[in-house]
Amino acid sequence: MEYLLSTLTFTGIALIGVLGTYMVTGLTGLFSFGQAAFLAIGAYVSAVLFKNLGLPLPLAALAAVLVGLAAGLLVGLPTVRLRRDYISLVTFGFGEAIIAVLNNTTNITGGAMGLSGVPQHTSFPLVFISVVVCLAVVVSYKNSKYGRQCLALRNDELAAKSMGINVERLKLITFLIASVMTSFAGVLYVFYTTYVEPGAFGWVVSAEWMIIVFVGGVNSLTGAVVSTVLLTGLPEFLRFASEWRIAIYCVIVLLILNFRPSGMFGQHEISLSFLRRLVRKGAKAP
Amino acid sequence: MTLQLLINGISLGSVYALVAVGFALIFNILKFSNFSHGGLMSVTAYIGYVASIFLVRYIHALPLFVATLLAAALGGGLLALVVERVAFRRLRESGSSVIYYFISSITMGILMENSITIFASSNFYSYPPFFPAWTIRLFGALTIAVPDLLTLCFSASALVILLVVLFRTKIGLAIRCTSFDTGTAKLMGMDPNRVVAAAFFASGVMGGVAGVFLGINYTLYPQLGQLIVKGFVASVIGGLGSISGALIGAVLLGVVEIILIDLVGAGWSPVFIFVIMLIFLLLRPRGISGLIVQEKA
Repeated sequence: MEYLLSTLTFTGIALIGVLGTYMVTGLTGLFSFGQAAFLAIGAYVSAVLFKNLGLPLPLAALAAVLVGLAAGLLVGLPTVRLRRDYISLVTFGFGEAIIAVLNNTTNITGGAMGLSGVPQHTSFPLVFISVVVCLAVVVSYKNSKYGRQCLALRNDELAAKSMGINVERLKLITFLIASVMTSFAGVLYVFYTTYVEPGAFGWVVSAEWMIIVFVGGVNSLTGAVVSTVLLTGLPEFLRFASEWRIAIYCVIVLLILNFRPSGMFGQHEISLSFLRRLVRKGAKAP
Repeated sequence: MTLQLLINGISLGSVYALVAVGFALIFNILKFSNFSHGGLMSVTAYIGYVASIFLVRYIHALPLFVATLLAAALGGGLLALVVERVAFRRLRESGSSVIYYFISSITMGILMENSITIFASSNFYSYPPFFPAWTIRLFGALTIAVPDLLTLCFSASALVILLVVLFRTKIGLAIRCTSFDTGTAKLMGMDPNRVVAAAFFASGVMGGVAGVFLGINYTLYPQLGQLIVKGFVASVIGGLGSISGALIGAVLLGVVEIILIDLVGAGWSPVFIFVIMLIFLLLRPRGISGLIVQEKA
């Protein structure tokens, strides 16, 4: 039971990260290799403020999210004007730079040894509520004017521009919401695991999130949620075949990409109320 | 001292160039960033290792080194054909959007990396020493390590061979045509499957040679191929889709990296590389070559 609960908690935290990636990659069509860096920013800033400076937890969390926002601005402002390939490169460089900073400020962050001794404050209900809130944000964003503009932008940037959509501002807004969400996931993460190390936030994590979004179906939020549960849960349950599990996971992803390129869910969505019922049912079951 | 750094940087840059060229070749034709190239380099580095372990009983030094390179290059070429068949052929036939290639390539890369962990464990291996650690002294203060010099020679000759194939042979012409306009190339009677396969083979050969050099420089471990990102950075700086731009970008990256390591240490250099890259892209968003593959307008 405890094992299941901890798996669910990790899945919930990953889900918030995937939701951010869904906004950036699924809705807007930008590839960000730096999403995991926001997770790192949220985790480290809140943990250091809480542990070393003795700030109260909500304040530390708020500060972490604000730093995430500032970092999002720093990366977003110059990059939204660039071509898509460059955006993935710059976000990638940003992610590596953050890891390098964490590795080299040993006296504050513990460097490559990691930061340990953070008290555990995150519980499953908290993660669950956060997931529901983030889901609500993403759903309403997707259905708002902005979300539709994002879809237009993803399919054809030039056409979207000529229809009077402020492409650059739109990209920036989406990117900022995603970075705030992911930083918050970082706060949840560090106060659950009680230990963080820079190696856990490399570009591979961001790439995994993108894979999850694509497996679910790039047009479907429901798909993103279901595939997060399947793909982050699946490796846990395949643990008996520990060496092979990542290979199996990759083969599944390749099969889906080859034989059902629109992802598991394609265009389909399960409505919000149904989804809520479904998630609640899932959480109550043993 | 600066001249010394320059030489080391060019030697490192020549290895990056091998990586970047394999990367740029595929970008040229299919217009996506092929991250499976990293996994491929890891696998070829291990292929080279196995070959060198078998051959070390019969031959030594230079012949052994050349044989290792050949084995890895051939293995890389064949593996690239398999990758193309498994991960991209179907996507190409169904005319999928570029982003699917991208995801497919990342997954394929992780799969190859993980296969190594399964079959060879995640231990570190190192190649048998090919050459004694000689250094050549030039003008008194300048020292060049022989392995560095050989790296430079061999990667430069691999690149020259590639350029000759691309610009002087029929298949090279076909590759360039297809990368310019796939539809028209098809109308002119070129079989896109064969041309793409040829490009993948060439990129695999480059990846194989690069894998061996990376393995010698950094020892062998499954995540070795993640150095693909150096190739990515180099080819973006050079201007995506330009082979010569990728070459210049790679050498530049190698030199800048060596200088940064000397100035601020290896730990901080990624931060500075990021800042330099950002400034560079703001000043010259199309890369050094200035030529860029246009997205449909």
